Amino acid sequence: MLGSATLVIWYLGTALELSVVVCSLARKSFLRYFFLNLYMLLSVLTSVGRWYLILSGFGVDTDQYRYLYFYTDALLTLALYVAVISLFADVLGELHFAKHLRLSAVVLLLGTAAFSYSVVAQSADRLSTDFAYQLSQNLYFVGLVLTYLLWGAVLKLRETRTRLVQFILSLGLYFSACAASYALKNFTNRYDDILKYVDPLLGCLLPLAWSLTIVRNTEETRLAPASLVVVPR
Amino acid sequence: MSRRLSAITLAMGILVGAMGLKTVVMSHAKGSVLVANGPAPTPTRPKPSTGRF
Repeated sequence: MLGSATLVIWYLGTALELSVVVCSLARKSFLRYFFLNLYMLLSVLTSVGRWYLILSGFGVDTDQYRYLYFYTDALLTLALYVAVISLFADVLGELHFAKHLRLSAVVLLLGTAAFSYSVVAQSADRLSTDFAYQLSQNLYFVGLVLTYLLWGAVLKLRETRTRLVQFILSLGLYFSACAASYALKNFTNRYDDILKYVDPLLGCLLPLAWSLTIVRNTEETRLAPASLVVVPR
Repeated sequence: MSRRLSAITLAMGILVGAMGLKTVVMSHAKGSVLVANGPAPTPTRPKPSTGRF
């Protein structure tokens, strides 16, 4: 049985995810950031599917919920991966790397799928179940590394488009916070009662940050360039 | 051609780095699931030896 705090966080997070799509439509940016919106839309749809299962009487620790959770989680992580690649395409757009970026993205995705397959290939029984879980976890780490590389590219290329910078920064913070929460869970069991709310709360903060970014900034908003450093001759 | 090879090499390098990071992090795991998607409650980790979640 789910507690009321868990349900409130779940409803709030889903509402915030929907708000990203609504704000994008209202600010006429839906197609401009199509893959970010697609990720949020898929996340809302998976939440509805999971709710339906819970309301049908299946608990969180039933096999049915686990199947649905980990398969949809793999789908969402895949959508998040595509969203990160689309941000890469935006940042590196002026360098005319689009063709090579697509090649790298496909090779990286296939490599991750092959690695996930190799982990579960020893047992044919586990292929249909553990593969989705492994792919999701492996793509998470690939997404984490890609987001930091993307942040490095933003700094190196002195990107000034506010929306783009804030999307990437909030994504990097989200990935980092998830990793920190995971590390803390493995470090000690003492805070398990609190930590079980941290991941869902983090899931609320990413759509909140993206919604605020879309509402507060237009496509033309630019960050003020950093002060020039006087270099002595 | 060399740019294409560079793109593939870069992708492979990122994959090796990410999987290395995963190996380091997961080696100390105690059965918890790394979650990165949405506010839904997380079920317990699938049981790897049974062929079922």
